[in-house]
Amino acid sequence: MNIDEVKERAGPREFNPGDDLPEEYRKAATRMIQFHANSEIMGAYLERPFIRQSPSIDRKLAFSAKVQDEIGHGQFLYRAAESLGIKTREEMLDELANGKGKFLNCFHYPMENWAEIPMIAFFVDGAAMRRQATLKRTSWEPYAHAMDKICFEEGFHVKHGESIMRELATGSKKEQEMLQDAFDEWWPRIIQFFGPSDDKSTHHDFAAEVGLKTMTNDELRNAFLNQYLPKARKYNLEIPDEPRIRENDDGTFEIEEDDLDWDEFFTIAKNDYEPGVGQIEGRANAQEAVEWVRDAIEGDDQPTAGHTPTAAD
Amino acid sequence: MSSTAAAPVEDLDDDQREAVQHLLYRLGDDEFVAAERYTEWQVRAPTLESDLALSNIAQDELGHARLWYDLLQDFGYDEPDLLFERDPETFRHSTMTELPFEEGDWSDAIVRTYLYDVAEDLRLEALEDSSYGPIRDRVGKIQSEEDYHLEHAESWLDRLASDDDGQRRLQEAVDRLFPYALTLFEPTDPDVEARIVDNEYRTEPLDELGEEWLSNVVPKLESYGLDVPISEDGTITSADLPPEIGRDGNHMDDWESLYDDFTQTYRDLGRTEATTLMEDPS
Repeated sequence: MNIDEVKERAGPREFNPGDDLPEEYRKAATRMIQFHANSEIMGAYLERPFIRQSPSIDRKLAFSAKVQDEIGHGQFLYRAAESLGIKTREEMLDELANGKGKFLNCFHYPMENWAEIPMIAFFVDGAAMRRQATLKRTSWEPYAHAMDKICFEEGFHVKHGESIMRELATGSKKEQEMLQDAFDEWWPRIIQFFGPSDDKSTHHDFAAEVGLKTMTNDELRNAFLNQYLPKARKYNLEIPDEPRIRENDDGTFEIEEDDLDWDEFFTIAKNDYEPGVGQIEGRANAQEAVEWVRDAIEGDDQPTAGHTPTAAD
Repeated sequence: MSSTAAAPVEDLDDDQREAVQHLLYRLGDDEFVAAERYTEWQVRAPTLESDLALSNIAQDELGHARLWYDLLQDFGYDEPDLLFERDPETFRHSTMTELPFEEGDWSDAIVRTYLYDVAEDLRLEALEDSSYGPIRDRVGKIQSEEDYHLEHAESWLDRLASDDDGQRRLQEAVDRLFPYALTLFEPTDPDVEARIVDNEYRTEPLDELGEEWLSNVVPKLESYGLDVPISEDGTITSADLPPEIGRDGNHMDDWESLYDDFTQTYRDLGRTEATTLMEDPS
């Protein structure tokens, strides 16, 4: 199939590993899915310390299960990316360790206290849900298939995130203040989650033409704001003055883009932002420390020990 | 949360209440602290598959801790009493469960889960006919999850032992962990322990469980070419034990830092209660 035929046929779940697809498509899809898979792993890395720091057994169980789900999502997504024949999972995990692999802006920031949890577990996960729901109609069928399972589980994660937020928002004055502080700090990053406005996005046109992306950055951001601004207000969160957000009569929003720190965003996009670098290296060191195990089992015809409860199948 | 069946707490005299509580604390604390350590491997295990497998085991153990702590609530304690506001020196877990993992020491995780899960299987068997109904009623649910744990540990022992480097690291883990594993069979208090057995809250004494455990794990480890650090005739004396056995509340410094970590958010937020998401865990 040449690229014109791909564009002509592009539609929901249109292509699968049985199709002879041009390299340009396979590379674009790999880049997108690898980014998504990496984000699952780095999100899990960021949240893991809070399994221990959860303030109740039930929260701890839910948190441990959530981190496990995310590793399962990573596993499932790397498989969907691998099926494009460009990179193996090992190559992608190596790239994540050596700083070449890219992932979501929000997972480059450190997370230091429990009041920050809803920023990731409610807002960022909620934003991811908006985006992922549209990817059920992406043209690479294994990716769309992964989304069915992932969206199902993410629904529980967002509910748990909201439950933690509700508890803080209705808790002591100190808890409410900590929540507002966290929101002030994270809100601009969350707005940037969807990337720059469409006219500044480099990869969008091609990805849209071949059906990998089904909605633009601005459309997704609008959908998110429509749903989550009212939720933030419901929990008595004060929306920071910046970035300025104009609400149009038709339910769409315009963001004053100059109010956002795009230098920081693009530094992050290059994996050069300082806390993020530490997180990438922290994970890389943890992976290196168990290199000996992977060496020891190399060539083992038993890739999964015993019965592995795959969260993603 | 509290157990639904009418709890026969009222039927117990003070000595009996103390005995049941000691039994429940040693069960719950072992599971809770072991799980805390296992979760350290999340997002750090050698492969995505092994990450999922060990985190699954951690969640099982945490769920079991919740089941045992739930029974302690029948004695009038709430979760903060049992965990977040409890004096760290009153925890009764074996010191093997509190040992920190060295970064990347997967062989420790495998040997530790193996030694622990064999002990857990044996002690659950000894609770199947417990005279304390609420304990007896929860054994089956826990046992149904334990088979997979041992299968996991043994499959990994197999794989690591077939590699020279893996074998060497397994030996180091056995040398380090074995004395601590023996504390699994130590009493919280000899008098109270005698009451646990006399009243048949647990139907086997600890020394018999310990012997059974040895007759199970020693040949198994030896079959992998591993040396087990106990005397030729297989007798265990107090000289084989580490300085801190945990059961009596005597713990290592690592426990203090673990305790500080897991109670940190609770303290920082100034909480006085622990959120329950599931009404009845049984």
